[in-house]
Amino acid sequence: MKPERDIGYMKILKTAPGTSVQDLGRVRFSQFGIPNSGALDLRSFVWVNHLLQNKDSDAALEICQPGLKVQFDSPTMIYLAGARASAKLNGKVLSNPGLLPIQANDLLEIGAMEIGAVLYLGIKYGFQTEKVMQSRSFYSGITQSDFAKKELRIPYFTYKEVPASTSSKVKWNINWIQEKVIDAYPGPEWELLSKQSKEILDSYEFTVSDLKNRMAIQLNELLPNSLPEMATAPVFPGTVQLTSGGKLLVLMKDAQVTGGYPRILQLEEQAISILAQKKPKEKIKFSLKTFS
Amino acid sequence: MKPKLKQISPLLFEFEWESNVSDLLLQQQLSFKSAFEKEFSTNLCELRMGFKTLSALFSIPLVYIEIKNWLNSFSIEESTIPLPQKIWQIPVCYADQTGRDLEALAKAKQVTVAELIALHSKPLYRLHFYGFLPGFMYLNGLPKILHTARKVVPDREVPVGSIAIGGAQTGIYPSSSPGGWHLIGQTPITMFDADQARPVFASVGERIEFTPISILEFDRLKRHPMKPKFR
Repeated sequence: MKPERDIGYMKILKTAPGTSVQDLGRVRFSQFGIPNSGALDLRSFVWVNHLLQNKDSDAALEICQPGLKVQFDSPTMIYLAGARASAKLNGKVLSNPGLLPIQANDLLEIGAMEIGAVLYLGIKYGFQTEKVMQSRSFYSGITQSDFAKKELRIPYFTYKEVPASTSSKVKWNINWIQEKVIDAYPGPEWELLSKQSKEILDSYEFTVSDLKNRMAIQLNELLPNSLPEMATAPVFPGTVQLTSGGKLLVLMKDAQVTGGYPRILQLEEQAISILAQKKPKEKIKFSLKTFS
Repeated sequence: MKPKLKQISPLLFEFEWESNVSDLLLQQQLSFKSAFEKEFSTNLCELRMGFKTLSALFSIPLVYIEIKNWLNSFSIEESTIPLPQKIWQIPVCYADQTGRDLEALAKAKQVTVAELIALHSKPLYRLHFYGFLPGFMYLNGLPKILHTARKVVPDREVPVGSIAIGGAQTGIYPSSSPGGWHLIGQTPITMFDADQARPVFASVGERIEFTPISILEFDRLKRHPMKPKFR
């Protein structure tokens, strides 16, 4: 039996758009048209829970823009990972965040993201917002909140132990976040593309556009598109769609579960994590994988 | 007919049927899906349906030949399951106040509003799968005369419960959302309820019938919500 734990609250004092509570998402509910949701960058998310000795499925705060300020009303322990961002605790700059013991009334501020675009604020035992369909991931029409806004109070279990010093300085290797190459498999409609389009996808660089959110990332470059309309078919996080206007749309975790545009590439989870960490204007290059 | 098998990624496979969208194809898809689920239940993460496709996502990488061999040995004749008989009745108020494009669409089709309502509410529509929005039904059966290209500039907000036509499809918006379909009416029925263990009432393969109601009846049902009836 679990011991009874006290509830504390982390209050959002300031936030830019795009902050939400995320976990592993809703997997078996696509049959009702419900998106996966879940952490955009699964790799960093899992790391946060690992360092806190949480369960993989424990919920963390996903931050997609600088300018977050939160206050904790009770002791706990947090860990920051993903993007390299400037962070301050009670006004003092944190050089290497590591595991951070938090006291009642502590103020945490997240500033500019120097490398990467998505930061996870993990907390001991995970955030305790409502679970709807086996997940706490925020999604409009499913959970009460679609994004964390000013004044929102996010519950957690209090924790008073001080971490052992050995584990507190584990270095988060950030090299993979800067990787330009994105592994991709040919999608179901790949074979319908012209030879020229295939070559462009396989050899050109593409640029992440400003149209980047939890549903999809649009790329700047256009691809000639003469593909016929298709019957609505399943799509997944990591599916790259070619729209009628020739735009490339990489579907992310909140994407709808079916779509009508040709599905020309499919990324796997590791590639989705790398792409999620790209800022607008950053370059990527697809590396096509095949099955032998 | 047997579907074609494609491996998309180490975890993702897709079956594609070449026939036209129909009740017969849906029946084949659902029979196939049920047999596939039984065979590969251990490492199967989820199955997603499209009009002519079935996608299978696994939790660990699977070998193509393993699925191919099963597909070769699969017999459609032995495993055909009939489609369900249930027909859900969805009350719809077809009016200017509830469907802002109703008159314009009737005009474009060179029919009266009454004729358009009759054309839309006469057929039974088959539910093929859910997608687009939580609780959004992909329905087959819209009469050809009502097929209408989507709007060039989508509406910023389509009200919850809107009945709409887009391309060869008709659908019900389970929540308010931006959308590019032509709005012809509105239902007072709740199409999606996240608080229920099963958030939708209709199952894939069942049918939908739109029954016209007056604006008074619509307002009354909005105030006193009821569960949809079926026959």
